[in-house]
Amino acid sequence: MQFRLEKRREPSQFMLYATPVAAVALTMIVGAIIFSLIGYDGVGAVREIFLTPLTNAYKWQDLGVKAAPLIIIGVGLSIAYRANVWNIGAEGQYVIGGLAGTGIALLTYGMTGWWILPLMVLAGMLGGMAYAAIPALLRTRLNVNEILTSLMLTYASVQLIYYLIRAPWKDPMGMGFPQTRLFSEAARLPFIIPGTIVHLGVPIAVVVGLVAWFIMTRSVFGYRMRVVGAAPHAARYGGFSEHKTIWLALLVSGALAGLAGVLEVAGPFQRMVPGFPTNYGFTAIIVAFLGRLNPLGVIVAGVVLAITFVGGEVAQTTIGLPNAATGIFQAMMLFFLLAGDILIKYRVRRVVPQPSQGAA
Amino acid sequence: MPYRLELTGITKRFPGVLANDNVTFAVKPGEIHALLGENGAGKSTLVKMIYGIMQPDAGEIRWDGAPVVVPNPKAARKLGIGMVFQHFSLFEALTVLENIALGMDAKIPSRELEARIRDVMTQYGLLLDPHRTVATLSVGERQRIEIVRALLVDPKLLIMDEPTSVLTPQEVEQLFDVLRKLAAEGCSILYISHKLYEIKALCDSATILRGGKLVDTCDPKQETSRSMAEKMIGAGLKDIVRLEGRSFGQNKLAVSHLSTQKAGHFDVPVDDVSFTVRAGEIFGVAGVAGNGQNALLDALSGEIRSDKDAIAIDGHGLGLLDTTGRRKRGLCAVPEERNGHAAVGDFSLSDNSVLTARDRLGMVVMGLINSGAARTYTGKVIADFAVKALGPASTAGSLSGGNLQKYIMGREILQKPSVLVVSQPTWGVDAGAAAAIHQALVDLAAAGSAIVVISQDLDELRALCDTLAVINMGRLSPARPTKEVSVEEIGLLMGGVHGATEAQDAIPA
Repeated sequence: MQFRLEKRREPSQFMLYATPVAAVALTMIVGAIIFSLIGYDGVGAVREIFLTPLTNAYKWQDLGVKAAPLIIIGVGLSIAYRANVWNIGAEGQYVIGGLAGTGIALLTYGMTGWWILPLMVLAGMLGGMAYAAIPALLRTRLNVNEILTSLMLTYASVQLIYYLIRAPWKDPMGMGFPQTRLFSEAARLPFIIPGTIVHLGVPIAVVVGLVAWFIMTRSVFGYRMRVVGAAPHAARYGGFSEHKTIWLALLVSGALAGLAGVLEVAGPFQRMVPGFPTNYGFTAIIVAFLGRLNPLGVIVAGVVLAITFVGGEVAQTTIGLPNAATGIFQAMMLFFLLAGDILIKYRVRRVVPQPSQGAA
Repeated sequence: MPYRLELTGITKRFPGVLANDNVTFAVKPGEIHALLGENGAGKSTLVKMIYGIMQPDAGEIRWDGAPVVVPNPKAARKLGIGMVFQHFSLFEALTVLENIALGMDAKIPSRELEARIRDVMTQYGLLLDPHRTVATLSVGERQRIEIVRALLVDPKLLIMDEPTSVLTPQEVEQLFDVLRKLAAEGCSILYISHKLYEIKALCDSATILRGGKLVDTCDPKQETSRSMAEKMIGAGLKDIVRLEGRSFGQNKLAVSHLSTQKAGHFDVPVDDVSFTVRAGEIFGVAGVAGNGQNALLDALSGEIRSDKDAIAIDGHGLGLLDTTGRRKRGLCAVPEERNGHAAVGDFSLSDNSVLTARDRLGMVVMGLINSGAARTYTGKVIADFAVKALGPASTAGSLSGGNLQKYIMGREILQKPSVLVVSQPTWGVDAGAAAAIHQALVDLAAAGSAIVVISQDLDELRALCDTLAVINMGRLSPARPTKEVSVEEIGLLMGGVHGATEAQDAIPA
């Protein structure tokens, strides 16, 4: 007996939605085995990471707060990836977005007014866009691969934080700590559920997902992104220039990463600190793929990844699992997902050698 | 004497389709046997099972009288089955010898392999320098590599899948000589083609498939092309209906001194091409593949921009516009490659209509796509052009080549463009569908559009076009009325002989 892959006539809709679920399930099973083998309570680790955040109502607010930036960045990446524009540097655009918002918050320090937050948000989006414009320019003018440039710019952005919070933006009352001062009230994101840490960024993330879904399925912009990714030659024939698409993809994903950055700095952080880059920009890559590059899927995937973050913290305290365990679970999820994707276009068939007999 | 190959009750089922339904036929040693059928009739599936790429669900394959199972192509070659595919698998940057060496099952020292290749080449008159880079070879020469590769394993059965679609008339004759010689030595040949006159000229017997079922096995020399075509499509064949003695209108499309840049290493640009097409005229561009046809189509469609006045419709220069801008002004185009260029395989037909028809047919309102309009239009294309598809929601990739081509041609023709440029409109399309596409083009011209047909199929061009020109190495010969040029003349022009004055610097075929 032998198995082999046979191409499907039409891509399987069932598998399109079944493989992400299967990837999560496999991650739980294999994760439990691996952590048992290296001497932890494997089953307990999986329970703490994947289930406790859901069963413990007190953790739900953490889920929302963690999921919001993942969703916002993931939506932007899902749009760019649709067009085969591989923006890997969302983390950098997120950082620059956060810094741009911080800049406005420090400039308006001590002032009041409803316009401060919108201005910060605008600055954050423009910052992310500007930072994503560098790979776009290099790609369209000099044909430099955007994967490398966007990734490397991430490391440059982190150094920029360190410089700014150690010198020009350092909190004068901070006793030498490398951080900015706490933003004034008007520059902080309001909490929408009293008594929790759920801030305005959470509903914004959901709205971003819904709007992006509408644009990607209904508009010429979304069509452009999809057709350029699916068949670049056909896109040119259809009148969509490749360069313009690269620019659009990087600017949109950069703007959304910047938005996530400014919402984070104005929300949970309320000041710029060295620990601001928390790898949301990289984790959002997993979110985008787990969500099938579909903005609605990204909302769900953002919550799933948020579960692993929150659960990872729980497992650190309850089981003593190292922090890196969260990363291992997230990476496994992406691995199983990409591996499972082959089942969308192919089916597994059991090949039984045919008995050679006279009558058929 | 047992049959070389005997198929009994071969059945192959795909989800929703019965590709082969109880097919039974046999090929004698030394026989040239034609396999005829429309697109989707199951020819490819059948030969794939013979060559071991797929396995039959039921039925039996006998080889020299003994039942066999062919699990993979390697086993097929071991039995003595060779196959030359319609699409070549050659690395352009490698030499002929390197390409052949890569495809061999057994590792043979390159010197020994070269000696064997030279043997086969001289034996069958397949002349080719083993050390030439594939990129420098014509399509006909590339096909010779594939044939040599198949002959190196001393096949007892050679399967040829649509081998002549890209050859000049002279090259076709050479190929036939090789095949006849092979058959005379006892090698059976299974010859898949749509070109009925070729089958009459070459084949000893023909098996006709329709809808996966065997319709008839006949002697093509006893049949007329028409009678075979009718068996193939299962209905009477329609002739192209055109009004005789119609007159042409004003100059519609004017191309003057159009040149393109060499885009890639192996790209052939067009060089100072000029011609005019009048309203109601069908202008044919003949030529062997790879002589600048792709660049010409891209320059006309707008994928490659040119000087403003190099391309004009009704005197208005369009050279600087992109494809969308040109479509808005009435110029539509259909490139040669269906999947990935003219259509997106992963998209539904409805979404594929948005690709080129969105502006001319008002499918976009304030940046949003009116998917209802796209669906309605797609439904109309499917109905008017008899496209075999489940509906507008089917993906383009799920359609057979001929059906996808009918859809693409329909999508452009129903937009009623004032100028339509098409490349290879019936490439790999069966007789029934080709006739429908030809008729639609003639009707569009009759309604006053100017049409440019770029094709390698001379019979198609001669049947369809009012005026003919030949493209060779990116240069276009002067246009002549179709009735005044002979096949031989066109053949010579295709080979690069542009008349007496240019004969010195011409490149011999």
